[in-house]
Amino acid sequence: MNFRGHCYGLVLRSFRYLPFPLPLWSQSMARALLRWASFTSLETSSRLPFIQLPRTLNPRATSLAFSSSSAAAASSNYIHLSDEQLMAQCDMDTFKSSGPGGQHRNKRESAVRLSHRPTGIVAQAVEERSQHKNRAMALTRLRILLALKVRKAIDLDGYTPPSELLQILPAKSTIRGKDVGPQIGPNNPKFALGMQALLDLIFAVEGSVSETAKMLGLSTGALSRLILSDDSLRVTVNELRTSKGMRPLR
Amino acid sequence: MTLRFPFPVRSPLRPDLASSLHRRLSIPSRSSSSPTPLLSSDHRPPLFLRPPAFAASRTDLHDFRRWAESLALAAGPRLSASDGGPDAALLRRELAWLVEDATVAAASESGVGEELRLRVELEELYRLWRARIEERRPFQYIVGCEHWRDLVLVVKEGVLIPRPETEMVVDLVAEVEGFEKGLWADLGTGSGAIAVGIGRMLQEGGRVFATDLSPVALEVARLNVERYELKDKIELRRGSWFEPLRDVEGKLMGLLSNPPYIPSSHIPGLQAEVGQHEPKLALDGGEDGMDHLLHLCEGSASALKSGGFFAFETNGDEQSEFIVDLMSMKLGNFFHNIKMISDFAGIQRFVTGFRR
Ligand SMILES: C[S@@+](CC[C@H](N)C(=O)[O-])C[C@H]1O[C@@H](n2cnc3c(N)ncnc32)[C@H](O)[C@@H]1O
Repeated sequence: MNFRGHCYGLVLRSFRYLPFPLPLWSQSMARALLRWASFTSLETSSRLPFIQLPRTLNPRATSLAFSSSSAAAASSNYIHLSDEQLMAQCDMDTFKSSGPGGQHRNKRESAVRLSHRPTGIVAQAVEERSQHKNRAMALTRLRILLALKVRKAIDLDGYTPPSELLQILPAKSTIRGKDVGPQIGPNNPKFALGMQALLDLIFAVEGSVSETAKMLGLSTGALSRLILSDDSLRVTVNELRTSKGMRPLR
Repeated sequence: MTLRFPFPVRSPLRPDLASSLHRRLSIPSRSSSSPTPLLSSDHRPPLFLRPPAFAASRTDLHDFRRWAESLALAAGPRLSASDGGPDAALLRRELAWLVEDATVAAASESGVGEELRLRVELEELYRLWRARIEERRPFQYIVGCEHWRDLVLVVKEGVLIPRPETEMVVDLVAEVEGFEKGLWADLGTGSGAIAVGIGRMLQEGGRVFATDLSPVALEVARLNVERYELKDKIELRRGSWFEPLRDVEGKLMGLLSNPPYIPSSHIPGLQAEVGQHEPKLALDGGEDGMDHLLHLCEGSASALKSGGFFAFETNGDEQSEFIVDLMSMKLGNFFHNIKMISDFAGIQRFVTGFRR
């Protein structure tokens, strides 16, 4: 139906031409969009730009995100920081800085943008109803982005997966002990920690799903399903695979 | 009864609805200077607190959304270009929030199958959204609340809708040593936003006096104080600025105010949601916008106890600089550690300092 396609185009367009670095979509934002089920079918919404690197990554950030230097390794623990510690590394602003604001305006300045100084990663939130909540949402998104974008070099010889990675693996993994507890899914805030460790491993083996699966005691199919269970994880893995000339997972 | 609006998306106007709207609501004209007259709906609780006494089919709600969305997409560019009003993206978010407030969230309660439970009649939803777009009635008055920090505050015509910038006043107070046990005043409390934000953090012995000249503001503030069960922490008093605080003169640990600070000459050019719907008493700060701020600065010396803290919101850089100058030079004998604090848009929004 026409209206549907029309609206989808608008969603995309209205975000593509925003006058600041692109919003970094997280699953929850995607989910919020999906609640507009009347306008976006699952199929189209999965093509929305969930996650993108900010257009203006500073040079240091690029090396942090993609090098395997020890400096990068040291700084890859951002998402282990408390909210306060992480906030302290961020500049926060609102998007609409034109005009006098305050009493002059009806609700325009509650959107929040966090710029993480060490990496240049930007996370923002507009859809919550207060500035306070937008800030909390932006911080959640920043954690997901840090997990997706900041890579830590790992030593494949004698690699043992950290517990946060074990927690996101399905129970059938042969290396997952009983004491690990129930599997943590993408809706759990702790998922980002496991996702970061999983991506570290996948990057270390240059995108090979079968090799990663072997190291995690899973079948290739089971690992693929885990990767596909989260949109941002899938997109990140597929970007890597495409860049290495491999077929994207689907 | 189910209502259907099977009109095409591109012609969102429906004459019969529009005329019934005109009958039911009094529409402020562009030139009218007073806030919107109190509507009958004003005596009803905010949307999200009403019982889900109505029903509609999912298809009906879907149709409403499509209609409302098309209205928003068509009007947004015009409204934002004319006076800095809401753009289409903001209107769409508001629409999502309207539906959120009008429906029942819990799946168990929201009705089974095709039926949805609503807190207003579907027909009323159409009217409300039309008032939003065509009369520029602020979204917050339509739903009867504003989300501010982690609070949901009741608001209605006659009281200022608390602004996101002002959320920071609460953080400024939280940094003051020993604030939890002190006596505080929120002058010109409006909906009670600042007072409730502070009141919730206070401990034994801590108290907020929240004052306003407007009876409507005090009535709304009372609702919010009661909703957050802060009656024993917040005392509402009616009167002009320091007048109702004579008995605590010199005993206050802190003075907080977001007084009207818009220069009178700016009032006619304000975006319609503000200029035509919010109370002038809450906005107009006199010729240069500083009438009330200056009064507050002068009164602070005798109101605060030694070591007491103040935080005032201003119109921005110019007013803030003026006040810093006043407090640290002319009134420098009384105050110290005067600072400007910027909001998240980078505007010097607050002036803070301490009584010597
Ligand atoms: C900008 S509003 C601020 C409301 C609320 N504190 C907030 O931040 O949302 C200013 C408030 O000052 C009140 N006000 C105006 N003149 C006043 C006066 N002379 N004495 C006390 N309050 C006054 C208005 O009624 C209004 O509620």
